[in-house]
Amino acid sequence: MSTAAAVQSARTSKPAAPSRLWQRIRRNGWGYMFIAPWLIVYAIFGLYPLVLSFFLTYFNYSFVNPGDQAFVGIGNWVRGIGDPLFWKGVSNIAINQFIFIALKNGLGLLIAALLFRVRFGGRFFRTVYFLPVITSTVALMTIGDKLASPDGPLQALLLNGGLISRPIFWKSDPSLPMIVIALINTWKWFGISVVILLAGMYGIDQRQYEAAQVDGASSWQLFRFITLPSLRPQLFFLFVVDVINGLQMFGEVFSLGFDVYGGVNHQALTPVLYLYATAFDQSNIGYASTLGLLLALLIAGLTFLQFRFVPASEE
Amino acid sequence: MTARKFPLTSILAYAVLIIGAIAVLYPFVFMVSNSFKPGSELLNTRALFPQTFTLTGYTGVFEELNVLRLFRNSLLLAVPITILNTLLSALAGYAFAKIPFPGRNYVFGFMLTTMMIPAVLFLIPTYVLIYNIGWVGRFESLIVPSAVSVFNIFLCRQFMSGIPDELIEAARMDGAGEITIFLQVILPLARPALATVAILTFMGSWNDFFGPLLYLNQPQNWTLQLGLLQFRGTVPGENAQQIWALTTIITIPLVIVYFFMQEQFVKAFANVSLSK
Repeated sequence: MSTAAAVQSARTSKPAAPSRLWQRIRRNGWGYMFIAPWLIVYAIFGLYPLVLSFFLTYFNYSFVNPGDQAFVGIGNWVRGIGDPLFWKGVSNIAINQFIFIALKNGLGLLIAALLFRVRFGGRFFRTVYFLPVITSTVALMTIGDKLASPDGPLQALLLNGGLISRPIFWKSDPSLPMIVIALINTWKWFGISVVILLAGMYGIDQRQYEAAQVDGASSWQLFRFITLPSLRPQLFFLFVVDVINGLQMFGEVFSLGFDVYGGVNHQALTPVLYLYATAFDQSNIGYASTLGLLLALLIAGLTFLQFRFVPASEE
Repeated sequence: MTARKFPLTSILAYAVLIIGAIAVLYPFVFMVSNSFKPGSELLNTRALFPQTFTLTGYTGVFEELNVLRLFRNSLLLAVPITILNTLLSALAGYAFAKIPFPGRNYVFGFMLTTMMIPAVLFLIPTYVLIYNIGWVGRFESLIVPSAVSVFNIFLCRQFMSGIPDELIEAARMDGAGEITIFLQVILPLARPALATVAILTFMGSWNDFFGPLLYLNQPQNWTLQLGLLQFRGTVPGENAQQIWALTTIITIPLVIVYFFMQEQFVKAFANVSLSK
């Protein structure tokens, strides 16, 4: 049915609409019952908190004295936008994610390309590489902490190889923690990139490769001009999800045993950690709520920019 | 990739893959073998494997912590959350895929919009809400809000859209009620989607420590993850043996499940990307 015809029939049937609507409701009323559990849970634990979060930002509100709510207007917003600790957290994450996203997806791409080529054992390797993905952050950070510690095996290896001259106390260093966390997280998460990119590679039409090979293209050219462009949707998805998750990082720092302010120099402070400290250490719920909204806006803005300037595909 | 070049590049490829596999597995081996070392060895030697094999780390952690209770608490969260979420997400996903109730597209569009809101926004207001309901320190605080989730509904809906309408119509002709159709026709056909939802939900809950940290932070309510986190913070350096034992204890069960179901696990994560 063309659109014009659809509009026509909708118009002609208009007088009968109420009873037909009623019929549709009667026939398909089950639909409301089936989505009701979600709607109820979402209304209470999704929509209500959403409204509440906007409301809270205008108050100084604490659990210690619930009656003592002071209206501060946009005071929390002004404070948040100018808060050096919030931005310290954001810049820490920026450094961390820059390294993490490049390494994790670069490594994922390399391993996926190799797995795509080998004939035997592909499944075994994939299973192994995916193992850290299913392991908990607390456990992996406990292991990573010890592996990278000044008396751990990694630094022993670097010392023996002459790459470092003395043990590095990276946790108290002003800039190293976010870099080390990026390395540990690369180890934890690159398996996801492998699996997703490998699935993408299997989706590429093999005839493209055959045609290019006839024209004398090298392996690198095949990869650069056929594989990489074809993986655009997968890479785009990985970038978007990495940025969204990265800005909300919290567990890693907490599991490594940093205090809620990310150490003396805030070297491991993340925005969510700061939000946690504001709410549960300073007991300032209104300001913590504002920080949550600020961060959400930042994430939404970045996601929008990614969709705007990096189209996933030509479609 | 001509036949002549194949052996050399192939050897190189395997070399990289094997180095990668060793790098991925080494930390796990490190963890397990540390858990069997005596305390003095943990402090003073760098050998990967224990020179004297001991179980004192394990016996010690069972004395210090009620490990079985940690397991029980983790299961008390993960099992109900997984069952409820899989069932309710499938139910709503089915409605969005196959029941043309008036207003369906509006509700679905609204749902997709809410999916884009970053989780951090809900953190504080949800805590305020749960605090005011009086659920802090109770398992409901995590089970009820996780009983159904937008993303899982979306996954189920995408999968169920592919189920032919004729199957549903045929069951209706045979006089099956709507709930019977859902349970006996839709659920069996949607098994791959349900496996994905169940695996992601179970893992999310099992590995989560932030939720339990916020709502269940009393020793009798600690989950495995929170137990490890809190136990690490108690006596720095004193209980290294026990920390390694506990880390091994909380990691190995999921690793075993993973090796038996690795195909489903990997698919679950790949599905997440394909559905976007």
